[in-house]
Amino acid sequence: MIRLRNLERSYPLAKGKFFYVLRDIDIEIAEGEFVSVMGPSGAGKSTLLHILGMHDHGWTGEYFFNETAVHHLKAKERATLRNENIGFVFQQYHLLDDLTVYENLEIPLSYRKVSKNERSAIVADVLDRFQIVAKKDLFPRQLSGGQQQLVGVARAIIANPKLILADEPTGNLHSSQGEEIMRLFQKLNAEGTTIIQVTHSEKNAGYGNRVIQLRDGWVVEAKSQPTN
Amino acid sequence: MTADFKFAIRQLLKAPAFTIAAVTVLALGIGVNTAVFSLVNTLFFAPPAYSKPHEMVQLFSQDKKDPKKFRGFSYPTYLDVRDQNTVFSGTMAFNLAFVGIGQKGDTHRAFSAVVTSNYFSVLGVPLARGRAFLPEEETPGRNTPVAIVSYRYWQKHDLDPGMVGSQILINGRSFTIVGIAPEGFVGTMQILSPEVWLPMSVYDQVANDFSSDESKTTLTDRTGTQLRILGRFKPGMTAATAKPALEGLAANLETAYPVEQKDQTFLTAPVARNSVSNNPKAEGGLKAIAPLLLGMAVIVLLVACLNLANMLLARGTARRKEVAIRLALGGSRWRIVRQLLVEGFVLAMLGGIGGLILGLWSSDLLVASMRRLMPLDIVWLSGPSPAILAATFGFCLLGTLMFALGPALKISRSALVFDLKEHAGEDVVRRRWKFLPRNPLVVVQIAFSLALITAAALFIRGAGKAASVDTGIKPGASFVLEVDASLAGYDPKRSQELYRNLSEKLAALPGVEHVSITAIVPFGMFDVSRKVERAGIHPAPDAKPSTAAEGLAFDTPWTSVGADYFSTVGLPVIRGRAFTEAEATQPGPKVAIIDEILAKKLWPEGDALGQRIQYAASNAPSASGNDAHAGGSADLNETGKNQETIEIVGIVPATRHALFEKDLAGSIYLPFARGFQSDVSFFVRFHSLDSKNEVATANLLRRTVQEVDPALPILALRTFAQHLDSNLDLWLVRAGAALFSIFGVLALGLAVVGLYGVKAYSVARRTREIGIRMALGAQAGAVLRMIMREGSIMLIAGVSMGLLLAVATGKILSGILYGVSALDPVAFTVAPLLLTAAALIATWLPARRATRVNPVQALRSE
Repeated sequence: MIRLRNLERSYPLAKGKFFYVLRDIDIEIAEGEFVSVMGPSGAGKSTLLHILGMHDHGWTGEYFFNETAVHHLKAKERATLRNENIGFVFQQYHLLDDLTVYENLEIPLSYRKVSKNERSAIVADVLDRFQIVAKKDLFPRQLSGGQQQLVGVARAIIANPKLILADEPTGNLHSSQGEEIMRLFQKLNAEGTTIIQVTHSEKNAGYGNRVIQLRDGWVVEAKSQPTN
Repeated sequence: MTADFKFAIRQLLKAPAFTIAAVTVLALGIGVNTAVFSLVNTLFFAPPAYSKPHEMVQLFSQDKKDPKKFRGFSYPTYLDVRDQNTVFSGTMAFNLAFVGIGQKGDTHRAFSAVVTSNYFSVLGVPLARGRAFLPEEETPGRNTPVAIVSYRYWQKHDLDPGMVGSQILINGRSFTIVGIAPEGFVGTMQILSPEVWLPMSVYDQVANDFSSDESKTTLTDRTGTQLRILGRFKPGMTAATAKPALEGLAANLETAYPVEQKDQTFLTAPVARNSVSNNPKAEGGLKAIAPLLLGMAVIVLLVACLNLANMLLARGTARRKEVAIRLALGGSRWRIVRQLLVEGFVLAMLGGIGGLILGLWSSDLLVASMRRLMPLDIVWLSGPSPAILAATFGFCLLGTLMFALGPALKISRSALVFDLKEHAGEDVVRRRWKFLPRNPLVVVQIAFSLALITAAALFIRGAGKAASVDTGIKPGASFVLEVDASLAGYDPKRSQELYRNLSEKLAALPGVEHVSITAIVPFGMFDVSRKVERAGIHPAPDAKPSTAAEGLAFDTPWTSVGADYFSTVGLPVIRGRAFTEAEATQPGPKVAIIDEILAKKLWPEGDALGQRIQYAASNAPSASGNDAHAGGSADLNETGKNQETIEIVGIVPATRHALFEKDLAGSIYLPFARGFQSDVSFFVRFHSLDSKNEVATANLLRRTVQEVDPALPILALRTFAQHLDSNLDLWLVRAGAALFSIFGVLALGLAVVGLYGVKAYSVARRTREIGIRMALGAQAGAVLRMIMREGSIMLIAGVSMGLLLAVATGKILSGILYGVSALDPVAFTVAPLLLTAAALIATWLPARRATRVNPVQALRSE
């Protein structure tokens, strides 16, 4: 599903020098995998995730998504490709504070030009699936952290993406809430969704089937592992 | 409190861009208010430049049978009032006259007050130098050539220490200067000052003669109505307590002089501040403008304050964390509000200083434009007076409350726990009703701005229509040359000879097609009306005729003209004939030409040509015609004593006499020899005249006048188009348009800046939200549409509310608009479109910036 070749991301410094965030990245991720990207702070994990999510365009190298050469696409084409295939989950949940749970879930669909009736049906289905129907009219600040992240995950999958990118999805949650989210990811993965998460937690990485270790922008280790 | 001020100044220095923007917005808002206040205060509220003004009143002579009718006093009546009244501690009389001041060939027209000898003592005004007039200098007929000059006149002569005792040439005659009025003294009006004061004994020599010789009265004639009387109440006396005594005095005088004082009673009213009139209600219309101007200016301040309130609210959002910390440390809400109010007050004071400078400068500019127009000494004391300083300080306080109190209360009502969290500072608005505008203050701002822009559009439309008003005459390429031989000291006989001579010389100039003399030029400084009625009808004294056939008289604009007048001004004689040269230059049989309007009024069914008319007595029942004239209407001392009838020899089309003449009042033209006036104008019509040789032509005309008589003062020399341009009514319409345009442009600018500021700030604070939306799939177009949609909701709400306000404003202004309805469709289309276009641009700029938000950066900012 994803193939990266010689991918590099750098920022210019003074006197024509560059600061490299990612160096010579060669990664392949197959459809249906649950990959955890790990490494210390500043290793380039989140940068890699944003490149995979096609938010960051300032990289060099090759990026193939389902055999589409992303590196040859224009920004608008990348946005279309992203909207059709990728969902995001953030550490800070990033729910929109002035929208209700229902409206937060509806947003990705509205950006994909899904009709109003269809949106209603999909949102109702997801609310039901995540068992948050009772919360649909609440605002984010009226929910606990775990509930907010649950909505965040629901929002990520609502447009039926093939790939979910999650940036420390349990970073702000206590352990039982974190486990709940990870089990949800596992379930989604079992249903066929490819998942790539950035995490500091060995335990959370254990829910996936492969770990990619980054250090100072380099891939230092990529190993498969048995799932929890 | 000192600490609050220190912290406030530190906060403002920390955010120089915000401070500069806020001070500029406030300076504009306060500046407009200071300018309008200084004008309105000077005209309507500032204490007059004489002692104890509350004791001074003007005495009016009212017709008991027709209480709307008022008239002036004769000198003998003044003496009776002065000597017999029991209510005044002092009584004086005066009238105003235009005189020519200066050497031969360098005479300029100036405003003079002809006064009784006690004028300065009754007003309680000591002279700066010299002495007041002596009682013997007042005696009619003594013709004592002494004068008191204004302080400004003295200033123009470099405060010459030898001024008192020196000579001044007035109307070609040498007067001895015996005194100098004190600085700032302008007589009884507020800014229009006489340049000289003359004693009553010279009245008959200097009084302007706007009537024909047959109706002229001298000062000693008891039928005269030349004078205005001002009295100073005795201590404890009021208008109410003085009323019976004054009515008794009037009754006594009526008994003593049953013809001259018939039906007259006396009443008092406060001294008019901006006019000299026989009517106590003459200033009503003018006074109505004051609250209107102040109201509009306050709206500009309101818009500025709303703008600033928005800026403070936005800044407050960023300072939520600071406020939360203060609250957490035990600060009371009042303490926080006080701190924020002090910050607002410091801003307001800085804006107030800027506003004061701006306001004084712009009011000086307005007065300067007025000075160019009027041959009057406009005494305008520029610089901040205590009243203006106090008002500006008041605007600062008012502004502080308007823009700082609301935000201070809102910001200090922080949700402590939430605001101490990480996202404090983001522009988060939790709304359930998304169709409601995101920022109601901007909506109100847009609404008020639209009202002001619409008002400006209405005035601009009015000015446009006024500039292209159809006068009814077509003088083509004409110059208007105004001269006054009496200002050079010539008597009527010599003046007439001079004018005849000048007319011939002008007609002989190359390129001249026609030349004609006229007493009155349409749209000039003066117009004169006379009451005319059908000849030979003598209604009973108490009759109330309702038709011309029953003896109804018509107050009709009057002029006297030369033989070639109608050809010169392009007014065809549609029936009958023009005047002959003999009629125009030599008093002969009485003939007149009238226009179609008067013809229709006098003979609605029949033919006016060949019929005879006569002047009606001043108290004759008449159809109202006076109201139509906005120009200065001169008093006519027409008593109807001369019953010689006038034959109508021609009918001409109707013409307009003044800009604000709603229904054309008609016109009556006499041959110049039958209606001599010393102040005259010559229409000099050229075959063609291009703008390049206008100056050369003006010089040629000037030389011609000097060749005919070097002493003859030229009062005005300009093309007819320029003459129309300098019309006072037109100036008022244009000044109104300029003033309201300034209000409108300021309001538009403030609203657009306000909208831009709010949207730009909002976009900056919503970077995270926009980033999330983009991460969730929003493309640039969707973000642009979202910001534009939010701006548009504010705009639609503001424009809808603003249209309602504009309708109300239009209705209020309808009385002073020229030629446009209060709901003029053009103004009501252009103004909203202009505002909408500007507001959309103001929204589009931050919206475009929003599309450039980098989601990676935005999400990482957490």
